[in-house]
Amino acid sequence: MADAGLVAQQAVVAVAVMAACVYVVRRQFPQALRRGRMRLVLVLLRPHRAAWLQRLGRRLAPKVAAGPAAAACGQSGSCGGCSPG
Amino acid sequence: MSAATATAALRLALVGSPNCGKTALFNQLTGSRQKVANYAGVTVERKEGRFHAPSGREYALLDLPGAYSLDAASLDEAVTRDVCRGFYPGEPTPDVLVCVVDATNLRLHLRFALEVRELARQVGRPMVLAVNMMDAAQRRGIAVDLGVLEAELGVPVVPTVAVRHDGAAELVGALDRTVQHPQPPRAGLIDASPAGDALHAETRRLLALAVDMPRRTAKVDDTLDRLLLHPALGLLSLAVVMFLIFQAVYAWATPVMDLIDAGTVWLGEAVGGALPEGPLNSLLVDGIIAGLGGVIIFLPQIVILFAFILALEESGYLPRAAFLLDRLMAGAGLSGRSFIPLLSSFACAIPGIMATRSIQDPRDRLATIMVAPLMTCSARLPVYALLIGAFIPAQSVGIFNLQGLVLFALYAAGILSALVVAWIMKKWRRDKSEHALMLELPSYRLPHPRDLLIGLWERAWIFLRRVGGIILALTVLLWFLLSFPGAPEGATGPAIDYSFAGRIGHALTAVFAPIGFNWQICIALIPGMAAREVAVSSLATVYALQAADEAAATEALTPIITDTWSLATALSLLVWFIYAPQCISTLATIKRETGSWRQVAIATGYLFALAYLAAFVTYRVALALGAG
Repeated sequence: MADAGLVAQQAVVAVAVMAACVYVVRRQFPQALRRGRMRLVLVLLRPHRAAWLQRLGRRLAPKVAAGPAAAACGQSGSCGGCSPG
Repeated sequence: MSAATATAALRLALVGSPNCGKTALFNQLTGSRQKVANYAGVTVERKEGRFHAPSGREYALLDLPGAYSLDAASLDEAVTRDVCRGFYPGEPTPDVLVCVVDATNLRLHLRFALEVRELARQVGRPMVLAVNMMDAAQRRGIAVDLGVLEAELGVPVVPTVAVRHDGAAELVGALDRTVQHPQPPRAGLIDASPAGDALHAETRRLLALAVDMPRRTAKVDDTLDRLLLHPALGLLSLAVVMFLIFQAVYAWATPVMDLIDAGTVWLGEAVGGALPEGPLNSLLVDGIIAGLGGVIIFLPQIVILFAFILALEESGYLPRAAFLLDRLMAGAGLSGRSFIPLLSSFACAIPGIMATRSIQDPRDRLATIMVAPLMTCSARLPVYALLIGAFIPAQSVGIFNLQGLVLFALYAAGILSALVVAWIMKKWRRDKSEHALMLELPSYRLPHPRDLLIGLWERAWIFLRRVGGIILALTVLLWFLLSFPGAPEGATGPAIDYSFAGRIGHALTAVFAPIGFNWQICIALIPGMAAREVAVSSLATVYALQAADEAAATEALTPIITDTWSLATALSLLVWFIYAPQCISTLATIKRETGSWRQVAIATGYLFALAYLAAFVTYRVALALGAG
């Protein structure tokens, strides 16, 4: 019984440490994480991969952000391409 | 956060120039029902709140960053322009634009209102003009004919007094009427693409028609400015104000800090007693409670510091401080424009560095970015507070508190170092020309308690979110590194010596022993790179895990370090933290803003060299004086 309690404690600690690890990586290294995900997704989506791997790849694919033009729009004010009027 | 509101509430955008009382009006309308976040991809603050009109209609109100013009010269202005036009990613076009102008400063703010009206016409959205601070205008004898303004502008014009309980009632009524019959402004007398001259001419015409102003500035402003902008007395006043702030941080926070400390110890004992021995017990007691308790204890000091900063901001004193310091800053190679970014860096270097986007001269901007990390960010405050509380006696020096004096000296050392570094950069560069400072000096006003309380709540919430987020996560990871692997069989030393972190800490002492750091400090420096205040929680966790028994593990950190560190080590660590470049987010922001790894390398290199050199000198001098 005591052993079961200890195993349960170890399981909770393992989950907490993993969650902390994921949180720190997502917060501190979002670009590196995104790049890593993209690499993994590209490997999973290769044509000869099994269907379930391809499905997993599509699920793991990061959401498409607004394109670079949209992201930059309004931040530099230098393009002049969409000035009022 | 998604910008789209969940229900069918009508979206209002509150736009206006800085110091028009826009945020006070926002607070008046929404009270505490606010969500503060950042716009996607930038660190410009996004504030949204909701309110119900007496008609029962619900409004979602967006407080846009202050802007002098829609021809954006800063990131704030670009965000405001793009949100109003519906071009900002993830932000729908507002249903109604509410433009706020200061009735005592219409000469400046009407020009912007004309730009907003033109934009509202282009995007086909109705606009309401709120002429704010009507009470202040009345006191100064300024008469604003709102009927004439309304007829000339072709949009509803209402008076508001954001600091009065029912000061926004007319605005809410006008909004209800506007949304029932939405009508974009008709084409104005000025050209569709308003050039600067046309706008100025139209502003002058409107002022002549609708505004009667006996004198340009308020008498009380002139009287106060004669003292506060005086080249000598003004600087003296600024020094006194800053000095009093740091005294108050120590004098007022102690009782609440003692309460939090006692609460942490009680919680640690309660949780430790309730759970059976094992890794989860250790994680909760030695890791999370000891670690987070060691950081939360400094919340009262952070709140007091920000109370003063917010009060100074609300009172209209801060731009005057920028004006006062312009000559000094120009001498050091910066400009008065650097003042606000550097002041923001006292909260955190990241918004400070982002705020340098308002500095148009790239040379001044780079200099400001490079010295911004030297400003004492609020994350350093827990470290300073811990070390000062542990090693500097709480005694009086004349009428002053010695601990407050030391804290003031640390802040002053950061500022002085920034000026010296900027001066050296100025000496190295080829272009030595100076650039004139242009700044709006708003009227003095008494800060409204409601706005101060809301601002303080926001700052405290940001701090608590960090505690519950990145600091909690790093504390858990550090506990893991300090607890595993366990000591091998037959080991004679403490188990922590055999852990991952213990080994790293011992290895790092080869580098840091010359400046007096022990292996526990070396360990704390590593997670401190993600957030500086984590150094405190890390020390608390290290010492809790190292403790021989449970009673010692729940003991507060302060008496432990007082017993085990020398004064020379404490002083060396204090000085290290004035300069230490150990903040990954700051370095990432420098990379993003300068687009150059070289600048990141220069910033990291010079900050590390300064930190090591200053800590080395401090440690050696303290040892020579017998503080070992």
